[in-house]
Amino acid sequence: MLDESEEKALLGYLDERFGIPPEVFEDYFWFKREKTWWMVSASRLIEKASGLKISLVGLRAFTKIGGFIKPTTRMIQVFGKHAIKSRLEVGKDDLRRLLGGETLAIESRQENGYVILSHGGDILGLGLLLNNLVRSQLPRQYKKLLEPFLKPIP
Amino acid sequence: MLSPFDSYREIIPDYETFVEALQYPLPAHLRINLLKTEIAPVVRKMNARGVTLIPLSEKDPSLFLAPDPGLRGNFLDHVLGNIHFQALTSCLASLVLSPQPESLVLDLCASPGGKSSHMAQLMNNTGVIVANEPDLRRQVPLSHNLSRLGVLNTVMTRYQAQEFTLRQNFDYVLADVPCSGEGRFRFPGKTMWYGEPKRAEKLLELQKRIISRAFDLLRTGGVMVYSTCTYNPLENEGIVDALLKERRDAELLPIECGFPYAPGVLSWNKKVYERELQKAARFYPHQLDSVGFFVAKIARRE
Repeated sequence: MLDESEEKALLGYLDERFGIPPEVFEDYFWFKREKTWWMVSASRLIEKASGLKISLVGLRAFTKIGGFIKPTTRMIQVFGKHAIKSRLEVGKDDLRRLLGGETLAIESRQENGYVILSHGGDILGLGLLLNNLVRSQLPRQYKKLLEPFLKPIP
Repeated sequence: MLSPFDSYREIIPDYETFVEALQYPLPAHLRINLLKTEIAPVVRKMNARGVTLIPLSEKDPSLFLAPDPGLRGNFLDHVLGNIHFQALTSCLASLVLSPQPESLVLDLCASPGGKSSHMAQLMNNTGVIVANEPDLRRQVPLSHNLSRLGVLNTVMTRYQAQEFTLRQNFDYVLADVPCSGEGRFRFPGKTMWYGEPKRAEKLLELQKRIISRAFDLLRTGGVMVYSTCTYNPLENEGIVDALLKERRDAELLPIECGFPYAPGVLSWNKKVYERELQKAARFYPHQLDSVGFFVAKIARRE
């Protein structure tokens, strides 16, 4: 399990960057394994599973990339709805461009860092904002998976 | 034309209609994932894409028939985990078990994760589900689906189901066992690929060992479901019958799922099964247009 200071640092980042209050994560336990952080519903029953040979616990929530800690797409898809800043709603054309590897120029006063990308209100995952340019951090396979969706309806 | 299931003529009600139903492709069913979204916006978005969704169950309003699924897995809602395509009868295993929130659940043969994630939804992501899958290759889709669907109350293990450690007892156990898969078969005469599995005897032995271990893993007063997607009584009633004869604290419970089914058979190939087995449920494609399925709900008596 994660010690209190590490947990505080992770939740502090989500609060500071996205405005997701730490209370949102009150009902979860956190675990760290090598360069990944995992979260699981806080239940007293989790102790009963401790005698088992466990291969994975809950949802992978953060990964360490270089010196940075990055929230995972799946974690952001679940909790991104609580974010009140660093959000960017993209239309189909912009989404197609992002998935194609292009950058989006936006006018923003936000500091460099991750932004939550959404389409039609649905949280897609993260983009990376650097000097008013946004680059996709969505999983690469989304380009192929979303190809039919991004085609115009005849 | 002969159907590969002619040997079941005596036990499948209205057999000719059953054979007729096999001429049609499996319909697409999906579950709106209430762990990530709500029903109304998904229905609205799917309608806008030209897909009609027809609700199927009052007991579980997240289950829908998608008569013309078109793009299937390539829907944005699928990619984001707002929906999950899953055979209706497969959903019924979780629905029949109906694990309560804050309970300890074991899914012994969990991949690809449709039933585990459905149970997580029924439990509102509370308690703990142990999603067990021994095959490393099958752990990949299991892990992928659980994370895509925003499941937060699972731990994954890799025990052989029949040898799952006895260190811990569970409130609920789901044993959706490997089977001959007859219930998935459609189009007799067009694709005559169907044949008895080569190692049928070994399969029966494995099923017996899994149900026995599943029952051992139940706490007193706990409930389990044994399910298959086959019509073969040897893999269904035969396996449950053996458990009932061996374990006097095992008791079959009635099944209330709100969908039509035929009761379990009481005899097959001159073998007579316990009368209790009529409480088991056989789902046939001419009665419920989905994968053929068998479900038995078993309690461990106090």
